[in-house]
Amino acid sequence: MTLAVPFALLAAWELASWLGVLSPRYFPPPTVIAATLAQLLVEGALLSEALITLTRLAAAFVLAAAPAVALGLAMGLWRPVRGVVEPYIVMLYPLPKIALLPLLLILMGVGEKAFVVTGAITAFFQIVISTVGGVQSIDPRLIEVGRNYGAGGTALFRKIILPAALPAIFTGLRLGLGLALITVVAVEFVTAKNGLGHLVFRSWQMLLTPQMFAAFVLIGLIGLALTRGLRALQRRALAWKPEVGWL
Amino acid sequence: MRRPAARGWESAIAIGSPLLLLAAWEAASAVGLLRAQFFPRPTTIARHFGELLADGSLPRHAGTTLVRLAWAFLLAAVPGVAVGLAMGISRRVRDGLDPLFAVIYPIPSVLFLPLLSFVLKPADAALAVTGAITSFFLIAYTTMTGVQQIDRTVLEAATHFGARRGRLFIKVLLPGTLPFIFTGLRLGLGLALIVVIAVEMVSAQHGLGALLWLSWGLLKVEDMYAALAAIALLGGPLLWALALVRARLLPWLPDVADA
Amino acid sequence: MSLPKVVVKDVSVTFEGQGRPVMALDRISLEVGTGEFVCVVGPSGCGKSTLLRVVAGLVRQSAGDVHIAAARPGTPLTAMVFQEHALLPWRTVLDNVTFGLENRGVLRAPREARAKEMLALVGLTKFARHYPHQLSGGMKQRVGIARALANDPEVLLMDEPLAALDAQTRTIMQEEFLRIWADLGKTVLYVTHSIEEAILLGDRIALLTARPGRVKQIFPVNLGRPRGLEARASPDFGTLVEKIWAELRDEVVRASAEDAAPGDGV
Repeated sequence: MTLAVPFALLAAWELASWLGVLSPRYFPPPTVIAATLAQLLVEGALLSEALITLTRLAAAFVLAAAPAVALGLAMGLWRPVRGVVEPYIVMLYPLPKIALLPLLLILMGVGEKAFVVTGAITAFFQIVISTVGGVQSIDPRLIEVGRNYGAGGTALFRKIILPAALPAIFTGLRLGLGLALITVVAVEFVTAKNGLGHLVFRSWQMLLTPQMFAAFVLIGLIGLALTRGLRALQRRALAWKPEVGWL
Repeated sequence: MRRPAARGWESAIAIGSPLLLLAAWEAASAVGLLRAQFFPRPTTIARHFGELLADGSLPRHAGTTLVRLAWAFLLAAVPGVAVGLAMGISRRVRDGLDPLFAVIYPIPSVLFLPLLSFVLKPADAALAVTGAITSFFLIAYTTMTGVQQIDRTVLEAATHFGARRGRLFIKVLLPGTLPFIFTGLRLGLGLALIVVIAVEMVSAQHGLGALLWLSWGLLKVEDMYAALAAIALLGGPLLWALALVRARLLPWLPDVADA
Repeated sequence: MSLPKVVVKDVSVTFEGQGRPVMALDRISLEVGTGEFVCVVGPSGCGKSTLLRVVAGLVRQSAGDVHIAAARPGTPLTAMVFQEHALLPWRTVLDNVTFGLENRGVLRAPREARAKEMLALVGLTKFARHYPHQLSGGMKQRVGIARALANDPEVLLMDEPLAALDAQTRTIMQEEFLRIWADLGKTVLYVTHSIEEAILLGDRIALLTARPGRVKQIFPVNLGRPRGLEARASPDFGTLVEKIWAELRDEVVRASAEDAAPGDGV
């Protein structure tokens, strides 16, 4: 990966900030941001906020993943299930899940539960949709192989359907995790009292811009690590299918 | 291969079960099982929705949101498709931009609001551009993938039969990429809507997201539900309209059944 | 003439098409003797693959009977070799070949031993631990054959197994088939597009009509056994090709006319 372009941009930013072309109050030089980042990390404040965000993310993902995969599989395998559930998915899919936040806040009070559930709902939709797609796009020939070679009922599911749908399920989980992160951070930004998203908001309001950017960078790095990490994991776990999408 | 009877059943359930749920909600609220101050009856909500429509406040908010969305979408779509095409066609452009994009893309869009509010003075501009950012990357990447997946043999054949440069682009590359462009636009529109609503919730006074958040804060629950319903009703028709355009422009493709 | 192994009697198959039902097979009857190699040819859409699937029990016929004489209880009646190999991409070659045995509850040691035997037969011993995506088309197809043979079925069903291969690989594989079949002597029902291939491999050839499929004519192949690729050079070969093509041609024309302007109803 050529880092020339980002590097050049950072250098230009640094220069512009020092020269005052970019207001240093609003756009502190990258070196200052980096220093702030390092300092905050060492002090621990940044890490504890990051931990809060990551905990919410983990909770949201764990809450969503198993039920979503189960529902997706059920929908893919049994027409009636799909018939009943699909209309809700079609109706709710275009709705920004964050708009459900106030409703959830009413339902569960202002607190962790509402934050986590909002993230979980976003992930849930994505995982269900990917899983259903995965089951529906199984090569029918593979099902024939299963039946012709004596794998019926649960054996067919265990040995053919599940492995064949696994790449799509994995991709769904990956995308779901990414979306959950975005939602959790957005929720923190909008309404929480802690977490990285809230830190960005607070720093913004107090015009502590180096801190704001530092939190920003950390979130970006976490997002990058998660997506890249999961893609690598997917490539290893599903070694029999070398190509993984770019997302 | 569906027998007509089975399809009838499916439609019946598709319409029936949400109606049943609404009916159950209505009953529960009326009876007191659900606290009416937090969960007013659907009929009350519907009535209030009608009132807000009639007195113009809901259309005004909706209009504000739609204008921001339109701007966000345009700001994402036009550069997105352009950059995506460039990245797909030129390896150098792709290698240059890819690292930059890869770092920015995973960042939740709303977080760009502070940055943009520093740079763009009119608050509305900052909101619209924030809505555009992640969408832009999504559209660019999807478009790029679209260019890359064009069958090389088709390009070879076209060149062989006399299509060069401009003509090759317009007559072969672009149509071949269009399905992916549309998928990107669809996803990008949905994403832009999400972000616009989110930033409205954070820092706007007008717009459906603002209405939603502010009415929640004041515990004007009926307003909140009306806003939620309006937002929900917004997304569907927009995507449907986009699907219509797609069907018109790309008649050679089978319908994409999206969930 | 040995006792029939497979008896297909007046089988009809109707599918629910896009709104109108489509009759794929119309009262088709066919017999395959024990140890016989019968090839089925016909125009596109004539239902040859459907016929195979009916014999395999993958498709339920709307009318008629299929009977397979089971000489060895406990062994599966059929095993199919598919056109696009249809290997399970997440399993190694070895685990693909043992698939049928695994489903029948055969223990690991004996089933792997048998699988290795079959892999040796098709010449892929060295690739036992590879994944399908690492193999070429011809190799994948050979794994498909090994898988079917490992299952030790009463009848081997082959659905245009060589159609997806290039001509050279196909010729090599045809030679392989002749060798393996001479060795094992299985009953085979083999569907193919290619008259030459059918004559080269088969004892008898059943020619199907255009959709809905019926047996138009049966052609015995008098090329003697054991047989090798040189059989293609014999004058009898060429004559038979012309004979069959003369009959097939009409059906092909009929089938393409039907495709271009499909009639309504059945």
